[in-house]
Amino acid sequence: MATGEARRGERRGRWLVGGPPLAYLVVFFAIPTLIMVLASFRTPGDFGGLAPLVSADGTLDLNVESWARLVEDAVYLEVFAKSVVYALVTTVACLVLAYPLAALIAQSPRKYRDLLLLLVILPFWSNFLIRVYAWMIILGPNAALAKAVNGALALVGVEPVPLLFSSFAVLVCLVYVHLPFMVLPLYANLEKHDRALLDAAQDLGANAWQRFWRITFPLSLPGVYAGGALVFIPALGIFAIPDILGGPNDSLIGNLIKQQFLETRDWPFGSALSIVLTFAALALAGLAAWIGRRGSGEMARA
Amino acid sequence: MTRRLALLAAFAAFAAAAAGPVLAADRLHLYNWNNYIAPETVKRFEAACKCEVVQTYYSDNEELLAKLAAGAKGYDVLVPTGNTVEALVKGRQLQPLDKAKIPNLRNVDPAYLDTPWDPGNQYSAPYAMSTTILGYNDQKMKELGLPTDTWAVIFDPKFLARVKGRVTVLDSSAELFAAAFKYLGYSANDVDEKHWREAADLIKMAKPYWAAFNASSYIKELTVGNIWLVHGYSNDIFQANLDAQAAGRKFRILQGVPKEGAVLAVDSMVIHRSAPRPDLAHQFINFMLDGRNSAELTNLIGSGNPNLDAARHIKPELKALPAVFPPKEVAAKLEQLNELSPAQRRLRNRLWTEIRASR
Amino acid sequence: MRKGRVALWAAALVAYAFLYVPLAIVVVYSFNDSRLNAEWVGFTLDWYRKLANDDEMIRAAVNSLAIALVASLVSTVLGTMAGVAMHRYRMRVLPLLVFAPIAIPEILMGVALLIFFVLLNLTLGLVSVALAHIAFCIGFVAIVVRARLAGMDESLVEAARDCGATPWQAFLRVTLPLIMPGVIAGALMAFTLSIDDFVITFFTAGAGTVTLPLQIYSMIKIAVTPEVNAVSTLLMLLTLVLIVVAARLSPSLLRTNQENP
Repeated sequence: MATGEARRGERRGRWLVGGPPLAYLVVFFAIPTLIMVLASFRTPGDFGGLAPLVSADGTLDLNVESWARLVEDAVYLEVFAKSVVYALVTTVACLVLAYPLAALIAQSPRKYRDLLLLLVILPFWSNFLIRVYAWMIILGPNAALAKAVNGALALVGVEPVPLLFSSFAVLVCLVYVHLPFMVLPLYANLEKHDRALLDAAQDLGANAWQRFWRITFPLSLPGVYAGGALVFIPALGIFAIPDILGGPNDSLIGNLIKQQFLETRDWPFGSALSIVLTFAALALAGLAAWIGRRGSGEMARA
Repeated sequence: MTRRLALLAAFAAFAAAAAGPVLAADRLHLYNWNNYIAPETVKRFEAACKCEVVQTYYSDNEELLAKLAAGAKGYDVLVPTGNTVEALVKGRQLQPLDKAKIPNLRNVDPAYLDTPWDPGNQYSAPYAMSTTILGYNDQKMKELGLPTDTWAVIFDPKFLARVKGRVTVLDSSAELFAAAFKYLGYSANDVDEKHWREAADLIKMAKPYWAAFNASSYIKELTVGNIWLVHGYSNDIFQANLDAQAAGRKFRILQGVPKEGAVLAVDSMVIHRSAPRPDLAHQFINFMLDGRNSAELTNLIGSGNPNLDAARHIKPELKALPAVFPPKEVAAKLEQLNELSPAQRRLRNRLWTEIRASR
Repeated sequence: MRKGRVALWAAALVAYAFLYVPLAIVVVYSFNDSRLNAEWVGFTLDWYRKLANDDEMIRAAVNSLAIALVASLVSTVLGTMAGVAMHRYRMRVLPLLVFAPIAIPEILMGVALLIFFVLLNLTLGLVSVALAHIAFCIGFVAIVVRARLAGMDESLVEAARDCGATPWQAFLRVTLPLIMPGVIAGALMAFTLSIDDFVITFFTAGAGTVTLPLQIYSMIKIAVTPEVNAVSTLLMLLTLVLIVVAARLSPSLLRTNQENP
């Protein structure tokens, strides 16, 4: 094929395949978001919303007040740091729980795989709120779990700890809510692994752990990163779970942003916080992927 | 081929079903709190006006405000709380009421009419009220020997130590600061920055004893007996007791009106400026100002009632509750919250963030 | 091999238990004779009876299902295209537009979309909600599809082209079946996200539009009664039945597993 033709074909392909989603996202995501990015440079309206863009005397109402407030206060950084920690813990816990599950489904006989996968996602078609309420019942002070844990602690002479309205409750619920978003990408990747590689390794004397760590895991890294991104990034912005079963110290950046749009009616500041959160989330995810690419490069060379 | 057609047909039928109810000739769009109007009342109104009432819900005044501020339309009647009415009026989101169409307005207790933010009730008609007070498990409070008529019980470490981890406060900076102000002897609407910081320090001292800042799931924890003392809304506390009795609990959930005073929230009916059916809206408001209809809500959820004509329709045991028809001594110490300026709101949020982040 | 297998099974069972204990509580409590979702009082079918007479709740459930079906369908198609495009071509702007909706706080996006729709004078209703849902679901599908494509054997596609297949035929007959598990996984995620979304739906819904999350969240400050458990249980069953039926009707399309090439 002549190179000119190939390049034209490539360009055509790029617009045919990438065009529609790009167009949709530009119209229904990029433009609305840009409206709010602009909003971060405006003043809050006196009674909610935003002050008019062009004020009565014709001047454009733009300023960097909201952005200045971001940097003048350490407390916002504190809240953000705590949210990062929560999101990281959630991601790691999801990975640990999801991996065996996804692996099992991927290795199951063909006719059971669809069913097992559906069974993973089925609970999440019930409503979020009542699932969280179910956790309040499980973690309640009079329920079996709390009694067992506090009973054990009492044996060692430690004060009883509340399971509900605590960071523990928030983390458990965060993991619960995000688990399918780790299982599904992992499964999609693990499903295509060639058993022949593992069999060959076994023939050469590798034990189960070696087969996993040196063959399966590296091959599954794209799935791990996809799942990690789909858990870490949304978990960073969550607010509902701390609201419902969090303790007095569990206020995350998502709660702070929600307060700006509601109680405080400070849309510009809320927009500024949101933009920072978005960039930070994407940057952290990108960093992890970059580290992973270098790491897997080294693994391949080893 | 037929299989695919069947699938498509099913999908189309489904989509048609979801497309909406059969077109009714007249519709009133009511944007209200959930469970804030008795189903019988709605049915009676629908029969009276030969129209359909389409209800959608919000659970927070600020959600309502944010949605309208962003430009949403299509609602006829809204039911915002006091200071939110002020924000809506000043933000030019409402249309004035045609007094000729709502003669029943005269049924309302004059004490709740003619507020500073809506002089002459140009825009709003009072609907129902609630107070933000204490709710407690009477058995536990007696056991621990704690007072139930003062804010000290949720702010003073001397009392809190006995009930550590069993108290929740509302997850609302406006409400919690108001309670702190009342305890410190200031007005709930104090705007002195020094007093704000004083209140913030008080809250930070008490915070380690509280189980949670919670406005959504605290009531059921109180009902079940996991939580023994709450800072909450009178309607919810009333409901909690009903639920506790229904579940056969040995304790009762009682309302404690603090002697220092509390916040009163009056919800009013207003008409959105671009309401599609202002005529139906006026009809609805007049209907709800009739004593019998107004009483139905109180009988349902124990809400406070600003309508004098409703008294004869309300169940006697509810009439006796101080939260429903506050007697003069109590009413004198209740305050409605005012709107804050953007700068004041920012200060409040700054302090709130510090409080939530502190250890 | 044996020991590894057992450990894998045990770990997977723990994960399934973790998933299903709360769900079991949800279903069991739909028969709870108490207004609150807090403790077991007694058995009753009242909540199901109440649900049968609750037109609002049923309409909300139907709306949610319809929106979720449409949103997951469209976002799966667009998301798959995006995933393929990101993998095969050097797209400059698309990756950012794909990842950002996942990172952006929902409340910002909800307010932004509302302002945007008002600017366009678009009537708010089911359609505006569906459009909003599609916007944030595309990213989830694209990321999963791209992960599935990573490391895929390109030689198969090349072989097909050499045998005379057009790019479209090569995609349809070779690439698509290979990435189908990723596409299905993405579709399931999109459906889940859409059916349970509250914040964005709240802002983009019209004056008469109710979805199940809107209905349920509005009960949050009073009492989320077991009627919600009942409607959730039924919705889960209904969705399960729908998927099983759809799979029966088009078995080749929806198979989530493929022969290893």
